Amino acid sequence: MALLEVQGINKAFGGLQAVKDLSFTLMPGEILGIIGPNGAGKTTAFNVIAGFFPPDSGTIRFKGENITGLRPWDISHRKIARTFQLSKPFGDLSVLENVMVGGFHHQGSRAAARRKAEEVLQFVGMAHQAFIEAHNLTATDRKRLELARCLATAPDLLLLDEVVAGATPAEAADMMDLIRRIRDGGVTILMVEHVMRVVMGLSHRVLVLHHGVTIATGEPRAVSRDPTVLKAYLGVQHVQPGNP
Amino acid sequence: MSAHIRPARARTYAIPAVVLLLLLLAPAVIRNEYYLHVLVGVLFSAYLASAWNIVCGYTGQLSLGHAALCGIGGYISTLLFINIGLSPWVGMFLGASCATAAGVFVGYPCFRLRGPYFALTTIAFAEILRIWVDNTEEVFGVELRGAQGIMVPLKGQSPWLFQFTSKVPYYYIIIAMLLVVMAVTFWMERSRMGFYLKAIRADQDAAEALGINSTRYLLTAMALSSFLTALGGSFYAQYFRYINPERNMGLDLSIEVALMGIVGGQGTVLGPVLGAFLLTPAGEISRGFLGGKLMGLHLVIYGLVLVLAVLFLPKGLIQPIRQFFRRDSGGAQGPPGTAGRQDTRAPAA
Repeated sequence: MALLEVQGINKAFGGLQAVKDLSFTLMPGEILGIIGPNGAGKTTAFNVIAGFFPPDSGTIRFKGENITGLRPWDISHRKIARTFQLSKPFGDLSVLENVMVGGFHHQGSRAAARRKAEEVLQFVGMAHQAFIEAHNLTATDRKRLELARCLATAPDLLLLDEVVAGATPAEAADMMDLIRRIRDGGVTILMVEHVMRVVMGLSHRVLVLHHGVTIATGEPRAVSRDPTVLKAYLGVQHVQPGNP
Repeated sequence: MSAHIRPARARTYAIPAVVLLLLLLAPAVIRNEYYLHVLVGVLFSAYLASAWNIVCGYTGQLSLGHAALCGIGGYISTLLFINIGLSPWVGMFLGASCATAAGVFVGYPCFRLRGPYFALTTIAFAEILRIWVDNTEEVFGVELRGAQGIMVPLKGQSPWLFQFTSKVPYYYIIIAMLLVVMAVTFWMERSRMGFYLKAIRADQDAAEALGINSTRYLLTAMALSSFLTALGGSFYAQYFRYINPERNMGLDLSIEVALMGIVGGQGTVLGPVLGAFLLTPAGEISRGFLGGKLMGLHLVIYGLVLVLAVLFLPKGLIQPIRQFFRRDSGGAQGPPGTAGRQDTRAPAA
């Protein structure tokens, strides 16, 4: 059974149709990448799934349950976690305290939340930074912290919004390794990403959005040769017939 | 690592403990009632600022209407005492319950929005209530006496009716109340609720994405703060045996309370207390020595202190003190070996 089923999602802001008739399914253990040029509607799709905006129409089912229009905290309690494109650390809290906020998700006890947080920090490789205030972290470490906070809520589905944006190649490789380890731990992943090497390297399937419309889905290799996709990214005159 | 922390922690707790001991012994030494009166005033301010801090310090929402909650507490306990002879000890909890309802009523629509709506609404609510009481002689047969205010009938020494001929019992009562509100803050800060409030303060979207129903937690904090503030209002009524809308519900009181929290250090257990201990005597002294000649100078001093605090110590006067002691926080204490040299935290205690 599909873990996440998105069916016919529409979302408009005023006259701008940000997401149009978006449908896809996500199987347990899968990594699905959503790509598309700037303004394609990737982050809007994320926000709709994570409960930050209700969709204008369409349904979202998670583990068979209709979760359309639920608020973010309700979505979170159904074991869906998300990161933000612009990371949002709790700046005046330490790294450990940040992750403990996620750790309190399933238990009220501070000791238990702390144990969970320490375990997650170990897993993402931030244990040595536990007592740094979050606003002192580098951009990449903030993303990693956000990921850690999500993991502390023990999600079944993780929505990653451009976690390697701005990272150096080495940092991006670290992050890819981390994402793989998370997936191996049984977490299904839906990721929006601009860095092609990362999406293509991690995703089992890729979905391409352009002006809110799904123009292609499929295996990364196939999608990267799709003429419609190339046209959306590069413009029509750059696509030579027979030489995609 | 822990060997370095422990003496520092002992020292940090030692200072408030010594201050508390001195305060407890003070009535034995201070024979002049006026000084005791000033101390009661300081402790009362510290109590109100600490209660304010529970919602405003930890969530980052600004209330400039806490005086109304204080007034509700004072008026209800006093009116119940005058009209049906109910002991203020009981009446204060009924007043506090009403203030809690009022606080939640004001908070509910505002906490669903982002932006300055809460601050504006609290001012409006407090001013409407003050103006209404100011101009209402009686309501449903209960005398409110408008701007004249209400005297609490004198019963002489009668502990059950919250009346004492000496100031000393009041002094100990307000110390006990202050310790309770500080203990509540201390406990809250270390609990799930404290973490959630701090998360909401830092980033509401991120907090909600982690499963925090921000409206619910903000309302809980508001309810708790309202309840405690109203208990303070009842204390005030019993201590002065006189309440009026101007002094008990006025914007001046709301601003003073907020100022002490902000200058002392919001979102910390000791900050608001520190703020009250510095600002209340400063106001009292400037009023006492200069009040006749330069009306309102104490307000200028308050304003200056606020400007300086915001410019140089945006986290409050408690911040440099805390850094000096490197006090350990409510949240994450470093287990030996994990922090190492990178232990640069300045925790939120």
